[in-house]
Amino acid sequence: MIGRGWVRTVIADLVRHWRHFAAASVGIVLGIAALTFFLALGLGVRDLLLVQVFPADHLEVAPKSTDIDLFALRLDLGRDALDGAALADLASIEGIDAVYPKMRLTVPALASGGSSLIGAGLQTEIVADGIDPRLVAEEVGGAFREVDVDRMGTPCSSDQECGDSSYCDGSRSFTGGSCRPYIPVLVSPYVVELYNSAFRRSYGLPKINPDSLMGLTFEMDFGASTFRPSAHATIRERMRLAGISEKAIPLGVTLPLGEVRRLNMALDSPEAGEQYHSAVIQLRSKDAAPQVIDSMEAIGLEVRDRSARRAALAIAVIMVGLAIVGTVLMAVAAAHIMHVFYLVVMVRRREIGLLRAVGARRRDVRTLLVLEAAAVGLVAGILGLVVAVAAGTAADAFAASRVPAFPFKPDSFFAFSPWLLVAAFVLAIVACVFGALPPAFRAASGDPSEALAGR
Amino acid sequence: MKNVTKRYPGADIDALSGIDLTIEAHSFVSVLGRSGSGKTTLLNLIGGLDGRYDGAVEVDGRDLRSLGDADLSDLRNRIVGHVFQAYHLLDHLTCRENVSVAALFARGQRRRSSSWVRRRADEVLETVGLGGAGRRRPSTLSGGERQRVALARSLFHRPSILLCDEPTGNLDVETGREIVELLSALQRSDNMTVIAATHDEAIAAAGARVLWLRDGRFVDQGGGGE
Repeated sequence: MIGRGWVRTVIADLVRHWRHFAAASVGIVLGIAALTFFLALGLGVRDLLLVQVFPADHLEVAPKSTDIDLFALRLDLGRDALDGAALADLASIEGIDAVYPKMRLTVPALASGGSSLIGAGLQTEIVADGIDPRLVAEEVGGAFREVDVDRMGTPCSSDQECGDSSYCDGSRSFTGGSCRPYIPVLVSPYVVELYNSAFRRSYGLPKINPDSLMGLTFEMDFGASTFRPSAHATIRERMRLAGISEKAIPLGVTLPLGEVRRLNMALDSPEAGEQYHSAVIQLRSKDAAPQVIDSMEAIGLEVRDRSARRAALAIAVIMVGLAIVGTVLMAVAAAHIMHVFYLVVMVRRREIGLLRAVGARRRDVRTLLVLEAAAVGLVAGILGLVVAVAAGTAADAFAASRVPAFPFKPDSFFAFSPWLLVAAFVLAIVACVFGALPPAFRAASGDPSEALAGR
Repeated sequence: MKNVTKRYPGADIDALSGIDLTIEAHSFVSVLGRSGSGKTTLLNLIGGLDGRYDGAVEVDGRDLRSLGDADLSDLRNRIVGHVFQAYHLLDHLTCRENVSVAALFARGQRRRSSSWVRRRADEVLETVGLGGAGRRRPSTLSGGERQRVALARSLFHRPSILLCDEPTGNLDVETGREIVELLSALQRSDNMTVIAATHDEAIAAAGARVLWLRDGRFVDQGGGGE
């Protein structure tokens, strides 16, 4: 057990030989600072890429396509849908926390409305898909949820009687209307961007504030098309915009999954209500992306967003490279510590001999030197982290003031996560202790008489 | 010691050659010899500071070669006290800390509280005539005072054997005489076994028995040797 006497002795030794230990700690300070700086930079850039540029904690996967171009046509020879078994296989892959299937609307649809917003009614062919509302619950809240449009609501004579989320539907009763819920929909920010940047210019329409779109209602005729008359009945529903999300279909509208399933089964076939065109997977950790992608490819699936895949792999390679550089740096620093401790042991040879002469065991001598090394590592680790964080802060300040703005430019390029700081701190101590072990064993070897005589 | 021979690596001759020696407990023995005669080597072997020799060394009934590092260290910590010609005081510590440095390595029930250690250090400093010098650094003391601190350090754990290597070698005659008188008094009062190596016949006369050492061999064992 290390008593107070030992602590005092270690501190006294550190103070007495501070020049030696300061020289010994330079390598550790620089090594830890460089390692922490570059790993924090790597983690920061990784977060920037995977969270903002390519949100790789969610990946969209689809059956691997095997397309063959034949004159004007492209033939798809692979699967084009996921069934329940494929989803179960997907969910069993290590590193996947949740699977959210997506279903495309398999019948045409027409959307009409918009006069309240832009002063003119529009009608357009539109594509749609359905997603599990849980996938966007955090992003858009509870407004986007499954609704039961078939349930007869309270009797009404006007929309005002039905509140914000329902309207008065007079089509289902001869005696009067009943309140029926709007189907909540999501649109992609690209739709709004496309409208504001191109569409509105062509038609002389006003630019719209995306926030003002919330609550916008319009009608959709499912099964209807301007290209060709429908052979089946159509279903008219009223829609209400519940949010704007990156997870919505890029050009079209996204409905709750249950609604798309109901419409496909009613207007296409029962099978169309069981086939999913893709699924969004939620990764347990962004670091797991490369392994998960490999596992998915092994069962015939592929990631839709190839950029995310490339980014994840590139970042994994960069992080491994930085870890190797850091390991080399720390190995060099440990070698430096070893060199300095050999010097310290040589200088203190008679002192160590005296300690042995008054009863110190070899183990006591080793412990004393290792404690001193650990103390050097502790101080050097703290200094190294301070230098790293200061350098990161300076680099961020430089980037903020001198680097021109660019898309997704972050406030900080560095992610000094607590685990990184703790790991670097522990590594500093471990490197010092390992570096000091050979000199400590050397110091404890031999007889006290040799050390006292300076031999 | 039974047929003990010691030769240092690279040396052409033995530092000690075929030594047989028995020292009675509670006696004061002087080892007399010129520089290089083997006095320091003899004390190092008896005190367990040097483990590379031929033959057998027994201290307090224990064959030192059979002791592991822990037991040998315990012997140096508890049974044997060393006083070196070069003092070997640690200048970065106070006199009190120098005297009590062995307490750092006391084990088991012999571990003491810091207040006990402080009191004991002051007590032995008082014994050697340096009461009140506990907070001073060795570098502020005279040669005689430093040797007294070194002596106090060797007495800290009340050893049964005190090994003194040229305890007056760096001191003037008067101070040397005081140290020898102090050693004699301590030997009598604490009933210790004192073995003092010296090249000064006047100092050696303080011992009840004088061993003459020349070129690693005893030339006269004062009637007590074997």
